[in-house]
Amino acid sequence: MGSEPQSGDSTTTIGTSGDRELKRGPFSRWVSSSIKNPERTYRAMFYVVTAFFLLTTLFPFYWLLVLALTPPRALQNVGLYPPGGTLNVESFAVVFQRVPFHIFMFNSFVLGILTTVIVLLLASLAGYVFGRLRFPGRGPLMLAILAISYFPPAAFLLPLYDLFTGNVAIPIPFTGLAVGFPELYNTPGAMVLPFSALFMPLSIFILTTFYGQIPDGLEDAARVEGTTRLGALFRVIIPLSAPGVATAGVLTFISVYNEFFFSFLMNNGEPGSWAPLVAGIIGLQGQYDTPYHLMAAASIIGVLPVAILVIVAQEKIVSGLTAGALKE
Amino acid sequence: MENLSETAYAYLLLVPALILLLVIAVYPLVTTFWMSLFADALSGSANLGQFVGITNYVELLTNQRSYALPSAFMPTSLTPNGIFASALGVTLVFTLVSVFFETIIGFGQALVLDQDFRGRRWVRVAIIIPWAVPIVIQGMIFYLLFQPGIGFLIGTSQDPSLLNQLTWIGTTPLANTVDATSIIIVADIWKTSAFMALLILAGLQSIDRSLYDVAKVAGASQWQQFKMITMPLIMPTVLVAMLFRTIAAMRVYGIIETTSACTTVPSLSCLVVTSFNQRAYGTAASVAFITAAIIGVAVSVYIVKFADAEGGGF
Repeated sequence: MGSEPQSGDSTTTIGTSGDRELKRGPFSRWVSSSIKNPERTYRAMFYVVTAFFLLTTLFPFYWLLVLALTPPRALQNVGLYPPGGTLNVESFAVVFQRVPFHIFMFNSFVLGILTTVIVLLLASLAGYVFGRLRFPGRGPLMLAILAISYFPPAAFLLPLYDLFTGNVAIPIPFTGLAVGFPELYNTPGAMVLPFSALFMPLSIFILTTFYGQIPDGLEDAARVEGTTRLGALFRVIIPLSAPGVATAGVLTFISVYNEFFFSFLMNNGEPGSWAPLVAGIIGLQGQYDTPYHLMAAASIIGVLPVAILVIVAQEKIVSGLTAGALKE
Repeated sequence: MENLSETAYAYLLLVPALILLLVIAVYPLVTTFWMSLFADALSGSANLGQFVGITNYVELLTNQRSYALPSAFMPTSLTPNGIFASALGVTLVFTLVSVFFETIIGFGQALVLDQDFRGRRWVRVAIIIPWAVPIVIQGMIFYLLFQPGIGFLIGTSQDPSLLNQLTWIGTTPLANTVDATSIIIVADIWKTSAFMALLILAGLQSIDRSLYDVAKVAGASQWQQFKMITMPLIMPTVLVAMLFRTIAAMRVYGIIETTSACTTVPSLSCLVVTSFNQRAYGTAASVAFITAAIIGVAVSVYIVKFADAEGGGF
């Protein structure tokens, strides 16, 4: 899309070059030099396209910043910069007074880290199995894991809600007894379990690729040295695949931090009930007012952690999505 | 453990992951399917709670449930059709339009990121960040951008300037189905083009660079190199990326709920949640399974048509 106007430009420049004998203003000089040197034209096109993408991806964040810095009484037809030359930095502090935003963020971190640990542990075992072992049922099992992701999250909601609110008893076979599933609603469990099930498949696919690339000889050598099978997995395979494990971890954390559905529905929205970021942002909308500047400020604060993670881990994100999505 | 056969060992290691998936995914899916076979308030209160077999599915697919949802699930502009038809229509439009533009924009972004230039790390960060933004914040951003009164995108005054001519003067576009759908599509393109770009970039970087050297020696122009080398080699990657995005787009919910609530843009997932909230479990469950079936068909078509041709990606 972005390249359309630019390719239009370059056709006009080629068109104007016909009368180069007449006058040599700076523009026609630029035109003739770019005809002699097409690489320069490509370069110019490239910068225009890049600028376009930067503008479109970053503009919404800039707009949030403008809103956040606008004093509440000036929140009418806000333009491209905060009105009146005064920056209302207070918004960023008021967010924390209006709702306990730090607790919601803390909850998000705890949920993200717990999920990441569970997913890495289970997906490491599964990734090892799929990446390094040959056994009957391998293909159908992987397909089944993939198929779970076809369903809208809402298809899991009601039975899980019943399960987590303690309304379902699990019969113990042959004893006639039943145990209640632990009541998890309003605890991290009610979110961490669905998150883990939801995001584990991607990590399994990533780790399958990474573990599959390790030469058999290394594992065999460890076994000859006397390690157990599991020992070889945890002492040789996983350390050698550290970049893959880190990647799966980063992607899982970002996915949990991103998640909306279960974050929104599996708690009562109170900070003490482990409600994450979602509740913090939505909770800002007051009963009597709509504090747009606070919503914007909270959004900026909420984006910061993932923005930092993206800056630090961009290489991992790129390599992980390749491995997980494309190799299987 | 050391004496187990490879097969037994494989299944033993899979036990923890399979238990999690059984309890948190398979059990609810089976239960939900069972629910879809019972009559609910939307099937008429006479046989409430009775086993009705596939009646829910039949009635949904033949659009006999238009009367059903009381709380304005159906925007007036969509009333002529049944609830299922409107939800399916909105979902398909959303999916086709957003995946189409995401592919084009993501491809463009990937081509930019594949170049070597100063500051490439930061450009890459800027392009990836929307993908990492939480859905609730993505919703907040687009809610604020299109909120009458505060933003310059929606003018409130009678200012005849060009910008106001181009925008919705004093109206709330998020309350109108067509406008809200367009805004949600833009929001989705903004966030997920980056995901597409990442996948395509990965594909671009796996192309053997010596092919381009050969082409240069043979005198191929940049455009010819793109057409004869890049395009054919990147197509399988692009198709897989489109498949992933199609699956996700068919299930769209969060961005709709956060910008405009499910009353103005009723996607299939919205219909599931709305009927759940109305305690119409049979209807909700049926819609969930029909959605998964549609996605399943799309995936199968993809696998048969494309993956085989490429020598099997799956």
